[in-house]
Amino acid sequence: MVVEEVGTVIDLLHTYLIHIFSQYPFLKPLLIGFVGACVITGILFVAGMFVVWLERKFSADMQTRFGPNRVGGRYGQLQLLADAIKLFTKEDLVPETADIWLFTGAPIIAILSALMMAAGMPFGYVEVFGKQYLMAITNMDIGVLYVEAMAAISVFGIFMAGWGSASKYAVIGAFRSIAKMIGYEVPLAITVVSAAVMVGSLNFVDIVNFQTSLSFLGLEHVPAWLLILQPLGFFVFGVSLLADMGSKPFDQPEAEEELVAGWGVDYSGMRWALIYFSEYFHLILGACLFVLLFLGGWTLPFDMPANLTLPVFFGKVLLVILAVLVVRWSLPRYRIDQVQRLGWKILLPLSLVNLAWASAIGVML
Amino acid sequence: MMPMDEIKDSEMIVHLGPQHPILAGPFMLDLRLEGETVKEAEFTLGYGHKGVEKILEDRMYISCIPVTDRICYLASLSNNEVFCNCIEKLLDVEVPERAQYIRVILMELSRIQSHLIGLGEFAEFIGFMSMFMFLVREREDILTLLEMITGARLTHSFVRPGGVRLDLPENFKEKALKILPDFEKRVREDQETLESDEIYIERTEGVGVVPTSLAKEVGVAGPVLRASGVNYDIRRVEPTLVYKDLDFKVITATAGDTFARAHCRFEEIYESIYIIQQCLDQIPSGEVRAKLPKTLKPEGEVYCRVEDPRGEMAFYMIADGSPKPYRVRIRGPAYATLQALPPVLEGVYVADVPAIIGSMDGCTSEVDR
Repeated sequence: MVVEEVGTVIDLLHTYLIHIFSQYPFLKPLLIGFVGACVITGILFVAGMFVVWLERKFSADMQTRFGPNRVGGRYGQLQLLADAIKLFTKEDLVPETADIWLFTGAPIIAILSALMMAAGMPFGYVEVFGKQYLMAITNMDIGVLYVEAMAAISVFGIFMAGWGSASKYAVIGAFRSIAKMIGYEVPLAITVVSAAVMVGSLNFVDIVNFQTSLSFLGLEHVPAWLLILQPLGFFVFGVSLLADMGSKPFDQPEAEEELVAGWGVDYSGMRWALIYFSEYFHLILGACLFVLLFLGGWTLPFDMPANLTLPVFFGKVLLVILAVLVVRWSLPRYRIDQVQRLGWKILLPLSLVNLAWASAIGVML
Repeated sequence: MMPMDEIKDSEMIVHLGPQHPILAGPFMLDLRLEGETVKEAEFTLGYGHKGVEKILEDRMYISCIPVTDRICYLASLSNNEVFCNCIEKLLDVEVPERAQYIRVILMELSRIQSHLIGLGEFAEFIGFMSMFMFLVREREDILTLLEMITGARLTHSFVRPGGVRLDLPENFKEKALKILPDFEKRVREDQETLESDEIYIERTEGVGVVPTSLAKEVGVAGPVLRASGVNYDIRRVEPTLVYKDLDFKVITATAGDTFARAHCRFEEIYESIYIIQQCLDQIPSGEVRAKLPKTLKPEGEVYCRVEDPRGEMAFYMIADGSPKPYRVRIRGPAYATLQALPPVLEGVYVADVPAIIGSMDGCTSEVDR
């Protein structure tokens, strides 16, 4: 009975929406965009909290500590909820000498960059009543380029935060983040381009479908991941992505030991929470990008039901995040000039070699 | 530091301190930076002045011992040792041999745990947080041994004029001989982890070089001095206790950079373990404390020094025959070592400043006293 009633309501809603959309066609993308934005933001915040908890537990395990173990049970499951409540209820403090527009704008830009990145990424398929839906807000033909551009915007947020804080530590941190960006962004872009060159498309779905299997070589059950086809690109992209995420060997802008907290030194409360979360969003979305471009996205080298694509995708993302955490907690930090040297003298030539390789293979395929 | 109006537009002055994450105790380090390069460094001490020398003048000799603990909590046993040494020299007391061995064991244990903290902080200062945790974990074994003997993990107050407070516990030898080889294995593993790390090598080799001439000129002490190629160890130069009967190497290096300093500390840990093992083999039975009058009333002037974890720790004591010391002058190693900072910091990158400070292992508590 109830099912029938619900069915009727949905039918009514459906006809009503179709009616509305036929009269006002511009409303459809607006509604989809709004719902998508809400869903993505919600999922990202929950995932971000999970990753923060994971990092705290994981690093504690690596360092023979306990990590959070009080709030919400013996694994400290609700620790992050408690932290979030604390941060969001703290006094909203802006230093007197700060430039108020830059200072308040920076966290917004930082979080915006992460959310805009998420908007361009597909995460897999969901099959409902025999129909497959792509889990993405938009499936752009220039998706790769768009995501790259949005990821690069976060540097503006960091620089605004550092410059607007009017603190010397923050200014040094801001300069460092720009210098670091100059070092890693070029090889990162070139490896992304070489991935696109090999596939022949900038669309994420095309890139993922390309990586399903090496069937064009007659190898049916060998994955055609770009990890295998472009090992050099995989390495360069991995290292540059670590720098993009601000993970350990590349966290010079916020080096605690000399700059206290670098560009974020004057932030507290909710603004700090936004910046903090945007960093973890970058970690998660960077891992997603990595999986999409180099680890075959949601595919495995054999047929599987469409509803399995989401678990497969997020399983791969989790593995990448764990790998990043291992690197993050087992390495010391580079000096900023060494990052530049690494970027321009090692990563850039390697990425150019990879581009040549990708073009050659791409032509042959 | 040059006055504010002479500073160029491209330069700025950054204060590291008095409160800063890298400073265990407060001191002020002003850096004149051009971009990321340090042009000039100047530091101000005295934020944590405790007035230990004055406090010592107002106490009976025996109750001075807990105060000497507080000069530097990581080296409290060697501070006890050098203070009691002064009194023994003035009273002309012979310390029983068993007590001498126990004191050597204590000093070496305290050297190991101090070096572990120093190395851990140094690793943390270049961003290697996990290594700090690993070394603190290994340090737990040494603290267990110290706790067995003295009953305390820090500020032991265990050495007495004419001996030590108590004999070794019954099963100490077995326990120590069981723990130490395992401990050494793990520290060697940590050392390999650290020194095989490419980033660590890039961050430390050739950074913050203290040339031999500078080291001698400002009088840096301990592992910092030996890493600059000077073979100088009070345990060899002026052996107290039973150090002359023991076999050990004085660890030196020639590079004088941060890598060499950390390397010297690691090697000294192994030498200390070797010394303790020898002591446990050779230790005779007998009394642990010489008979002394209840109230000590020494008279005269004396200068005593021992090898602290950080170098040469010296006390100059004037006693006038009353139950309290007339004047005690403390000459600590960390103060002298930190004097090498401003010349060494000139021209380095700001990211190397914590690494260099960490490799000097300057204890602010001891510097200010």
